[in-house]
Amino acid sequence: MHYGFAIDQERCIGCHTCAVACKIENNLPNEIWWNRILTDGGSNEMDIPRGSFPDNSIDYLPVNCQHCENPACVRVCPVGATYKDEATGIVRQDYDKCIGCRMCMAACPYTGVRSFNWQEPEYMLDYTLGAKDSPEHQRHTVEKCTMCWHRVAGGGEPECVKACPGRARIWGDLDDPNSEISKLISSRECKQLLPEEGTKPSVYYLV
Amino acid sequence: MSDFSSGAIVDDDLDFSAAQNRAKARDAAGTKAVAWGGRGLNIAIGVSAVVMVAGIALWFMQLSGGMVQTGMRNLNSWGLYITSFMFFVGLSAGGLIISSVPKAFGIAGFGGISKVAVMSSIACTVAAIGMVVVDLGQPARLWELFAYSNLGSPLMWDILVLGTYLILSCVYLWAQVQADAGKMSTAALRVISVVALVCAVLVHSVTAWIFGLQQGREMWHTALLAPWFVSSALVCGTALVMVVAVALRRAGYLSLDQAYLVKLAKLLGAFVMVDLYFFGCDLLTEGFPGGSGAEVVAMLTSGPLAPYFWIEIVGCAVCAVICFMPALRTNALLVVGSLLAIAGIFCKRVQLLVGGFQIANLDYASALTPMQHTAFDSGLAGIYGQMVYWPTPLEFGVTLGVVALAVLVFLLGLKLLPLRPADDSSSK
Repeated sequence: MHYGFAIDQERCIGCHTCAVACKIENNLPNEIWWNRILTDGGSNEMDIPRGSFPDNSIDYLPVNCQHCENPACVRVCPVGATYKDEATGIVRQDYDKCIGCRMCMAACPYTGVRSFNWQEPEYMLDYTLGAKDSPEHQRHTVEKCTMCWHRVAGGGEPECVKACPGRARIWGDLDDPNSEISKLISSRECKQLLPEEGTKPSVYYLV
Repeated sequence: MSDFSSGAIVDDDLDFSAAQNRAKARDAAGTKAVAWGGRGLNIAIGVSAVVMVAGIALWFMQLSGGMVQTGMRNLNSWGLYITSFMFFVGLSAGGLIISSVPKAFGIAGFGGISKVAVMSSIACTVAAIGMVVVDLGQPARLWELFAYSNLGSPLMWDILVLGTYLILSCVYLWAQVQADAGKMSTAALRVISVVALVCAVLVHSVTAWIFGLQQGREMWHTALLAPWFVSSALVCGTALVMVVAVALRRAGYLSLDQAYLVKLAKLLGAFVMVDLYFFGCDLLTEGFPGGSGAEVVAMLTSGPLAPYFWIEIVGCAVCAVICFMPALRTNALLVVGSLLAIAGIFCKRVQLLVGGFQIANLDYASALTPMQHTAFDSGLAGIYGQMVYWPTPLEFGVTLGVVALAVLVFLLGLKLLPLRPADDSSSK
């Protein structure tokens, strides 16, 4: 089993619903986002298209942990707090083990994917949101997308996939040639982020 | 101890009297070296202890209030602490290498500075370990390093090698003291020297690999990094030994023939040239293909890191000129040259650390939060248009505290251990 995502850039409308769904499902602390929607457009501001009117275009690049087959973060963690689950291919993070050295943040080539709790986690609401069994956030530890481990382990699919109104996010087993994701990857033109880093990411972008 | 408690109350008076004492000690130096030590040293120990305690207090503040009080964030996840860690690992080299190379190869050494040099190594190694500890988010989980060691992690290698290095430096110092007292054979001392030397080279290489093995950071990912760390370590370590030797001679702690300083200066000059040569090789290799490596070269020579680049290049070049021109090898200029080299190597550490974060692999626009960068509201242009990281006063304070710890260790060594040259004490 090797779970991965396919993100259809032809379908993504840049609505950030997956990012918000992720934030709620995992009860992410204030200012923390595991799933971010980058604008591939005409400036370094969000939602600005390239080109001049009327010949404009814009692409959205939703980026979360790439759950690499050859993860740079796992290699460098001195205590094994970040590790790859061999049965599913999911790169996991053990908050109780993390010593907060941030070696994994230096190692990960995907800018901004890994996130450190620089302070005691604070929340907008007085009560906890999202899944009951998503792990509690801890101060001074590194965290990131878990591929909704708590849902996947129970046979569910990640919340971002469920929430996407454009059905631009497809999740499934990359090892199974008959899965929807495998078929899409083999039939459509797709790319991976920073393939030159040799990390073999499990996230495919359908272009 | 009485000096210590008075020092805690009035800082200004303390500095003044410390300076006075230093002057007094200097006057006395010419006549009688035994007059050295005494009150001036005690006051210096007191001051460094006070600064260290203040640093520890600030560190507790960082842990209780959160590391949000530092300048580090997700996009620049390491800062002054890791910069200083690299720097102190480098500084620790010189002492040990200066002391062990002559013994290991059976060649003439550098006079009586051998033991003091190793003491400076020990102090710098303590500072390096301290810098890693204050950088950790969860220092209470340090024990996990030994319980759940991932032996594939360069950081794990570094912790092992750095610990070994510290113990070995202490053993080496003890062996020299024993040898001076005639309780140890020169052969045994020579064996320990060789082991210490190998360990010194390893400690720099492994520190380099923390950065150099990360394929995701253009600036760091080069095979040259390990040998380059060794050469930089030799530069600033030798420079530190030079400064310490001149200062201690001035203070009357030891007498040292000028010929030894000249020898040290020639060595320093050679190390500086090797270090600059490596930098040249690296810049050419990065820049020549004109791809993303050219971005690194531009960032260093004319981008946000240019001041640090040019201070290093000019500082090291001036140091080399001073070291190679016999007419310029006066005490004052040698100290100036050494300090320039040390400052240059520190600037190099800044370039390396900040440079690793200055170039983003995914530089697309997105919603930015205060957890990603302190200047999140100025957008990508604001974040990457200038230096991507600048420390907060708290980080400077904690760093100063760790430096004070190193100074304290060094001064306590001078006070309590028989570090003077054997021939010096026997002549009295």
